[in-house]
Amino acid sequence: MGSGRWSTDVYDAAARFRAATGASAFAYSDSGAARVHDTLDPHGVPVRESRDSAEHPQSLAIAVLFDVTGSMRDVPRTLQAKLPQLLGLLLRKGYVADPQIMFGAIGDATCDHAPLQIGQFESDNRMDDDLGRILLEGGGGGQKTESYELALYFMARHTVTDCFAKRGRRGYLFIIGDELAYPRVKPGEVHNVIGDELPESVPVAKLVAEVTAKWDAYYILPAGASYVGDPEVLGFWRDLLGQNVIELADTGAVCETIALTVGLGEDAISLDDGLADLGDVGSAAGQTVSRALAVIGAGRAPLEVAAAPDDLDGPSGNVRL
Amino acid sequence: MNHVIIVDLAYGDSGKGSISDWVCSPGRVRFAGGRPVQAVVRFNGGAQAAHNVVTTDGRHHTFAQFGSGTFTPGVRTHLSRFMLVDPLALAAEAAHLASAGVGDALDRLTVDRDALLTTPYHRAANRARELARGVSRHGSCGVGIGETARYTLEHPGDAPRVADCAAPQTLARSLRRLRDRLADELGPLEAPPVADVCEAYRAFADRVALVDDGYLGWLLRTGPVVFEGAQGVLLDEWRGFHPYTTWSTTTFANAETLLAEAGDTALRLGVVRCYLTRHGPGPFVTEDPTLELPEPHNQHGTWQGAFRTGHFDAVALRYAVEVSGGVDAVALTHLDAAARQPLRVCRSYQVDGQPLQRIIPGPERDLGWQERLTAMLLRARPVYEDPGPDWPGLVEGALGAPVVLTSYGPTAADKRAVASALGRRTPATR
Repeated sequence: MGSGRWSTDVYDAAARFRAATGASAFAYSDSGAARVHDTLDPHGVPVRESRDSAEHPQSLAIAVLFDVTGSMRDVPRTLQAKLPQLLGLLLRKGYVADPQIMFGAIGDATCDHAPLQIGQFESDNRMDDDLGRILLEGGGGGQKTESYELALYFMARHTVTDCFAKRGRRGYLFIIGDELAYPRVKPGEVHNVIGDELPESVPVAKLVAEVTAKWDAYYILPAGASYVGDPEVLGFWRDLLGQNVIELADTGAVCETIALTVGLGEDAISLDDGLADLGDVGSAAGQTVSRALAVIGAGRAPLEVAAAPDDLDGPSGNVRL
Repeated sequence: MNHVIIVDLAYGDSGKGSISDWVCSPGRVRFAGGRPVQAVVRFNGGAQAAHNVVTTDGRHHTFAQFGSGTFTPGVRTHLSRFMLVDPLALAAEAAHLASAGVGDALDRLTVDRDALLTTPYHRAANRARELARGVSRHGSCGVGIGETARYTLEHPGDAPRVADCAAPQTLARSLRRLRDRLADELGPLEAPPVADVCEAYRAFADRVALVDDGYLGWLLRTGPVVFEGAQGVLLDEWRGFHPYTTWSTTTFANAETLLAEAGDTALRLGVVRCYLTRHGPGPFVTEDPTLELPEPHNQHGTWQGAFRTGHFDAVALRYAVEVSGGVDAVALTHLDAAARQPLRVCRSYQVDGQPLQRIIPGPERDLGWQERLTAMLLRARPVYEDPGPDWPGLVEGALGAPVVLTSYGPTAADKRAVASALGRRTPATR
């Protein structure tokens, strides 16, 4: 009851929505913190676990790690703002029954305060809490290289997932970035950041092989990122991950891209189904996602499309793939 | 999962906001099954709600669209498709919450894309109509709720919805059509140009997470959710005393629909004061203008008319319980007033010289029946008794459900869980 005491002035409202940047969602970073939040510190963490529970019996692990330096600062804010839509898409029409999402952030072990930040796998709003505690660094070395190899090392040797251990299904790993990895993970950095003692350095290609044994791993390279279209960066990740390198023209579409990639990977949708779902939920990201996932979508066409070649003359929504 | 639906059994203003705040507050997790409350879901009405919450450190906010659990960090608000959403009022409410120390209210908000929009055109039409109606006003809040409902009934396919905010051309078309139709009927409306409204709604869509129906199902699986009703059962559009009702289903029904879609259930918690209040005209058998009870957050509203006070009416409240399909538990509020004033209790009316203990519910959606009830209640006289010292016992006896929570003041610290009652009927045993 009452009398509608909140102003409905249309001009104030527009200004207020535009002014409210959502910066407070990253309160930890915005408070001027200079070190990794305790809950995201990988040092001394034996494993991060994605486990089944009574409420989430079919857990599927989804890890999203992003570069937080320089040009990539918009990505975590986009993830935060669109997380509800991401979850809505994953659960809509059952792309995934019980997603467990982990967020993490990647910096540069040679010069950053926060070379690696790793949250927990969460099924509920706590995944948002982890995002809010991520330290956003403005720096970045400027040498076109970040410590992705440390993140790969952690994902290879410090994660356990029930989807893989119990059901043999790989979880999904998305790394969002725009730079090269260092060629080898170095014992000193592993010691400092994670706390393991390595006898010798490990080449990044070997780490990728370990990671992809239990993770379906993707590298998302956004446009507007500093080295997008850079043949060296693109070639580097293509060599490591093949077609699982996704060039994304607009970082604003990162949540939709993740959702559809998982939907395709789970054989829950064709690319066209997924794009139609994006339309249903009012996402304007369809075109961007369509271009970004054309290659992956073609490789993952659903079964009924396999029959299409018998009818070469007939129209099919999927022929152009 | 231990979800709770909070519904006011009377005419509103019983303290749903402070109960919702209490259930969501840290340290109350036992009430919700041992886990922190994830979100408050609104499932009826719109921006006319005025749920007052006062924090233990003295901050005050009148929740209109945000859930009353918002002062507890991390608790979200979801506006379901049954809400009538007013994006403009949301902006102002979020700004006030920021000034009260809650800077991330918009970040914790999700809105169902199918929810209807209450626009400045609805609001202007609402006021024009109320002014034309003059003395026979219904107690409308003047924020456009009724007009939104009316337009949707008349033009179901054309009613502007939340999803349109992200589609500027569709939105502009539907707003223009709305404005022109209302102006044809009522004359020129005092409202801003369509382009400016579109601009503000676009900013809303850019800022707030608009979701589809998959989202609530997920939310319900992540942890306890509080469904916070607006207004009260005795104002229900079909079960209230016609025509002194609201354009909204104020029972548990909408919340139960949302829960059923997700295959879930909830504890049905009814909220009552130990006396009765009502905004505006309409039947009020136990009204007593001599009662002097402090009402810091309710004044006589320009659009709603007088704020009225009276005694506990077990007859009307039993009717509310009956038409809403029963309650599992009751929260009894404003007990501090029992010490200040000689409150009485009414268990029976005299109507035309005959005693009446039960208001008999009519068939579904029979406004003729409801109108006859109104006429009967306007003739009814209360028969009072002394309530004695045991208010919870009295209310349990009258409403047939355990009192699980008592409130002696506005803050969470003024609330007491009745442990024995919780033990008898916790959500988990359902």
